[in-house]
Amino acid sequence: MTTPLISLDKIRQRYSERTVLDIDHLEFEEGSIVGLAGPNGSGKSTLLRLLAFLESPKQGTITFLGRPAQAKSTVNRQVTLLVQEPYLLKRTVFANVAYGLRIRGKNDIPGKVARALEIVGLAPTVFAKRQWYELSGGEVQRVALAARLVLKPKLLLMDEPTASLDAKSAELIHQAVLSARDEYGASLVIASHDMPWLEGVAERIHYLDSGRLVRTV
Amino acid sequence: MEYLLQGFMQGFKLLFSGNPETYSAITATVYASTLSMICSLSIGVPLGFLLGYNTFPGKKVVRTIVDTLLSFPTVVIGLVVYAFLTRNGPLGGTGLLFTVPGMAIGQTLLGLPIIIAMTANAVESLDKRLPMTLLTLGATPVQMMWATVLEARYSIMLAAMAAYGRIVSEVGISMMVGGNIKWHTRTITTAIALETGKGEFAVGIALGMVLLAVALLVNIGAAGLKKRAVQ
Repeated sequence: MTTPLISLDKIRQRYSERTVLDIDHLEFEEGSIVGLAGPNGSGKSTLLRLLAFLESPKQGTITFLGRPAQAKSTVNRQVTLLVQEPYLLKRTVFANVAYGLRIRGKNDIPGKVARALEIVGLAPTVFAKRQWYELSGGEVQRVALAARLVLKPKLLLMDEPTASLDAKSAELIHQAVLSARDEYGASLVIASHDMPWLEGVAERIHYLDSGRLVRTV
Repeated sequence: MEYLLQGFMQGFKLLFSGNPETYSAITATVYASTLSMICSLSIGVPLGFLLGYNTFPGKKVVRTIVDTLLSFPTVVIGLVVYAFLTRNGPLGGTGLLFTVPGMAIGQTLLGLPIIIAMTANAVESLDKRLPMTLLTLGATPVQMMWATVLEARYSIMLAAMAAYGRIVSEVGISMMVGGNIKWHTRTITTAIALETGKGEFAVGIALGMVLLAVALLVNIGAAGLKKRAVQ
């Protein structure tokens, strides 16, 4: 039996004494694309923040590749989260995508940035030198995705990646998700209300309601 | 009216003929203001960042003090620095009274509250998604701090320009700490005050035109930076 990439056991998360997440056991395998669905307030975003190691649960354990992991530890360099309304640094597209590589001291940054931009459907020759304020909402979303793909994370988490996108951009995100898995070997967990899109891209979908896992399809 | 026009004409002549006394005042001004800007930015940007980035008990009190210091009269700063640098003062042994570095100390105290307050405002008004973005990209705390300063860079440059505008145009500190010594600590503003008192309008107007040119350049730069900061 292979070790799951990440697993949660007896997780309880509370904000001001209000339980927002209550999951007995959940695990994600390497190379999988998993969806999270449920109404607003069902705990999807909280689950993503826990999986991204941005916060620690009040109770329970999260293990990463078989080892217990804490929030804001070295593990979070192997996990990255694309939020619903991503923020771009006040720099060029190239500098935005290259930021994560630079702080990790990586080599061949131009080549890696160009490939990541290609994956999200942005021609490097056209977009690399553009400033952050010269992009449309869909382009911002894709640049933010490229900035995360280029890090070759073991786990890429996405919160409502198609919420403000047109059909063409949503399809480009779909293709980028498949490339992230096939080319970079990333596992993906995607929270979305866009069920047709999510069903098209995810291998299975966990449904959450009031912080509990209610079913898996 | 005629004497004003004559003053302008003579002012241009003094500037373009390379009058040594005029250029000595310009040099002293540039020297003192450059020194004080280096000190104000080196001290003020980190302090402003800490004030804007962190939440701590008494933060509002500190902000109120900094905001009050924004309107500190230059003659009072001059008086305080004079009291410290005078022979019997705590720093009397340094020999900085009536020197350009001494003036720069006073001008640093004038520029610091502006740099601290505007840097803190700039950091506080950054997009709330920035820390989360940097965390998700794997930035360490130090890398996060540096990236945050870079995000606020246009507003910090704007703060530097505002401070420079105040420093280059002050009279009180230069007069009291510098002593308005010819060829030594006489700056543009103290020279204008002196020459006007002597009835030498031409030199006063020539130096006034230099100050206006500096103000114009600062304002053009500030307008560009404001546009960038808003974007």
